[in-house]
Amino acid sequence: MKQLNDVEIMAPVGSFEALAAAINAGCNSVYFGVEQLNMRARSSINFTTVDLAEIMHRCHEANVRAYLTINTVLYDHDIRLMRTIVDAAVENKVSGVIASDHAAMAYCKKAGIPVHVSTQANISNIETVEFYATYADVMVLARELSLRQVKEITREIERRQITGPSGELVRIEVFAHGALCMAISGKCYLSLHSHNASANRGACIQNCRRKYIVVDQDEGVEMAVDNEYIMSAKDLCTLPFLDKVLDAGVRILKIEGRGRAADYVDATVSCYREATDAIQEGIFTREKIDNWMRRLATVYNRGFWDGYYLGRKMGEWNDSYGSKATEKKVFVGRGVKYFSKIGVGEFKMESFSLKRGDKFMITGPTTGIIRGEVEEIRVNDREVEEVRKGDHFSLPVGAAIRPSDKLYKIVEA
Amino acid sequence: MVRILYHRIKCIGCNGCVEVAPDRWRISKKDGRSNLIGGKNKKGIYQVQVSMDEYEQNLKAAESCPVKIIRLQVL
Repeated sequence: MKQLNDVEIMAPVGSFEALAAAINAGCNSVYFGVEQLNMRARSSINFTTVDLAEIMHRCHEANVRAYLTINTVLYDHDIRLMRTIVDAAVENKVSGVIASDHAAMAYCKKAGIPVHVSTQANISNIETVEFYATYADVMVLARELSLRQVKEITREIERRQITGPSGELVRIEVFAHGALCMAISGKCYLSLHSHNASANRGACIQNCRRKYIVVDQDEGVEMAVDNEYIMSAKDLCTLPFLDKVLDAGVRILKIEGRGRAADYVDATVSCYREATDAIQEGIFTREKIDNWMRRLATVYNRGFWDGYYLGRKMGEWNDSYGSKATEKKVFVGRGVKYFSKIGVGEFKMESFSLKRGDKFMITGPTTGIIRGEVEEIRVNDREVEEVRKGDHFSLPVGAAIRPSDKLYKIVEA
Repeated sequence: MVRILYHRIKCIGCNGCVEVAPDRWRISKKDGRSNLIGGKNKKGIYQVQVSMDEYEQNLKAAESCPVKIIRLQVL
């Protein structure tokens, strides 16, 4: 296997909470969208160009690269906004732009900011890699390729010495984890057809995730197909065969999920980080994989499959709606104050109860994620077994929390 | 009369409203979002009162909006 010390884990960031979680979990880079020209335009937690400075400040401090997505279909009326966003990216020293429309690539080249070709461009062969090499040093391959095909592409890049604008060999990135589209990414018209909401403008309504009945129009017979959600693909998870993914010459592992919460980002980034390190050290064992898989299953997921990478047949469809996470978080209170000398946080309970032995999680825009088990609860400096709605109490948390951070109790789903 | 209400900040600039009601909607070249022609901004919600002649085409605009941010109130 080739040297692996240049493997990059790229985390999805849809909020400041997720950004803090991604950095703390050990990502090498993050990607995010601002304004509406990205694939999560519908998501309510999008950043604006004003947030760029703060995002970049935090990333520079943590020595994490940050990439901005401008990967929707662009119309003539979007060009000015696209340029404004790219200009803001250049000004704020964003590491690069993830683009799929040629207009965005061309403008980025002119503005002197590196380009990553988005998976929305469906790069599936070496000739296309060569074509885009004029613009980009990093290319995200189509998610529908097998690892054999990926390996062939990375081998050819070396053989043909295909270099990007920087003069370095083109680096290949793939999606390692997260939701998969039922169609070829970027080519789905289901949401547009039924709700006039184009997935390719970041407005996907995700109606493929619902239950459908097939009706025989001649006789009106209705069939529920095998009790499965026939269009809802399970989530991609490459962790069990991550060594094969890296062996195929992939250098950047992207995690999908800009619309997901900070606990998802924390769990996925830390598992993939540990797995990559383990592969590097030659200690990627079955036992460890089982442990990581258990951790990945605790956060939002639709069940896992290996996508198209292992060349298996299509059709690993979901059999339920929504998440299959084995744990769920219940909001119980908010942070009030942190006593740094003793590592104790003060909180106010806003609903339900919390008792000794419960597992908890704290999230906040600066805090990111803190997880732990309740060892001791104090009210007015007196130890108690349980606190309920309305109580002010203190809890040893180990790391700094901030006012208005959210406190959750973790329960089995 | 009919009042058109429009939550502009959530617009993704798909151009749908302009296609069905071009007299009332125009995409801003500045930020790529749609502008409600004649609309007054009240705390982020743009509003304008128009005659019932415009009802039909603006209903189409509301129905075709992928992010459902256009609302009509018949007065």
